Amino acid sequence: MFAAWNPAQPEITDLIIEHDPGTLERLPIQKQKLIEVFTQFRNRRALRAVLALPEKGGILDNREIDALLLTVHWEMQRLAEEFYHGHRVWELLRCVIAAIRATGNRETLRIVDVGCGIGYTPRWLASNVPLAKHNIEVVGMDLNSTLIAEANRLAAAENLPCQFLHADAFSGKHASHILLSTGVIHHFRGDALAEFLQQHDRPGTQGFLHFDFQPWFLAPFGALFFHQLRMRTAIARHDGVLSAARAYDGRTLTEAVRASAPDFAAGIYGAKIWNTPAPRVFHTLVGMRRELVPELRSQLGRYASRLEELR
Amino acid sequence: MTLLLLYLLALLDGLLCGLRTSMGRCAFIRKRSYYTRAALRGMAGAQVASMLALGALLLMRAFSSHREVLRADLEFAAGRMLWVFLPYAALVLFNLALRLVPSTDIRSATSVFMLGPLTAIRPVVMIVGVLYGIFTSKLLETRLLGGFVLALMLFLEFALNRRAARAQAIQIHQLV
Repeated sequence: MFAAWNPAQPEITDLIIEHDPGTLERLPIQKQKLIEVFTQFRNRRALRAVLALPEKGGILDNREIDALLLTVHWEMQRLAEEFYHGHRVWELLRCVIAAIRATGNRETLRIVDVGCGIGYTPRWLASNVPLAKHNIEVVGMDLNSTLIAEANRLAAAENLPCQFLHADAFSGKHASHILLSTGVIHHFRGDALAEFLQQHDRPGTQGFLHFDFQPWFLAPFGALFFHQLRMRTAIARHDGVLSAARAYDGRTLTEAVRASAPDFAAGIYGAKIWNTPAPRVFHTLVGMRRELVPELRSQLGRYASRLEELR
Repeated sequence: MTLLLLYLLALLDGLLCGLRTSMGRCAFIRKRSYYTRAALRGMAGAQVASMLALGALLLMRAFSSHREVLRADLEFAAGRMLWVFLPYAALVLFNLALRLVPSTDIRSATSVFMLGPLTAIRPVVMIVGVLYGIFTSKLLETRLLGGFVLALMLFLEFALNRRAARAQAIQIHQLV
């Protein structure tokens, strides 16, 4: 295995920015600590990227890091666009919404994108789906204030009816009917994955859809090829490939839900292309309140075969 | 006819270069006007490159002592280049056309499995096409002109990329 593909190590973007979980205040990051992390994993590719990061007195330069993060996130949006991610989310989300409505629920449904970054999914939904007609509200939340400011700027510039909050989606201050995420869940390692899923089990939350890379032996090679061609920053190239190596398989994800949020029935959606053995790049961890499962299957119609048994 | 076809291919290449270098550099959702501007910029770049190539061709012709032989040699070389460039362009256009199929899987697949690799091999296709064109040419002038055109084609994407990167860096530094 290449050192840069070792799934035990964090991604560079996990380390170059950190917030106090209580106050959400940004914390200073010592460059030397990052160097030590990747030296330990003998990851020379990451080390080269980290050494190039601008610093002031050994502390990463916040302004330059923000500029870099925005560059990376703009690039990452291209990935979402090329994979028609908005269409894929809506294809599934509309069925979840319809399943909830079938129970007689008429209230405004709040859909929260957890760790939304610059908010591609909420903005795509706000741009392409008549939210008022569906009586839904789309909110993006992230701990990174720079990304949230950018998401708000982009939404305002295009006059999109969605909002973005610099907040912890699970702090208890923010309600949600449906939780979404894209490329987020593999960042929770070890016990943190169970903790993250446990927090989903709150009154009002009816279901969740977590989209992430699907691991298989060719995924890191595919990601390497894709990112070398498409991405321009060393960090995006490194983290994109490492994400594919760190992604959880469907079984790990569904078992984690069953252990930590047992009131939800969980399964994987869209693992294979057209029911062939060929895996899709992304798969989706679906969790639904148990009473909604039959209706979800019915709403999926011809796509129901893409959803494995929810239990 | 051969030169016209090469010119049209150069414009198409410029258009796609313009699009490619602008991708991942604008985070809006509705980007039709952004991509239109990028495509026009790429075509304008290809137009400039074509004018420079035409200028070089006319200069060579003006100072040549064997104009008719040069003309025939250039036409033959250009015709051979089309044997490489036309199938490549057809493959790109076919995959772009496939994206009209209303299937997210097919659209994604064209991007990942075809358009990405086709982009990656563009410089190789350019080099192979020009080399194949001038390989059998009898005149040094034809070979020099082929080399000049190749340099222009490779420089076009580099220049568009530099311009787009600079514009993006300025925009992002204004945001943070």
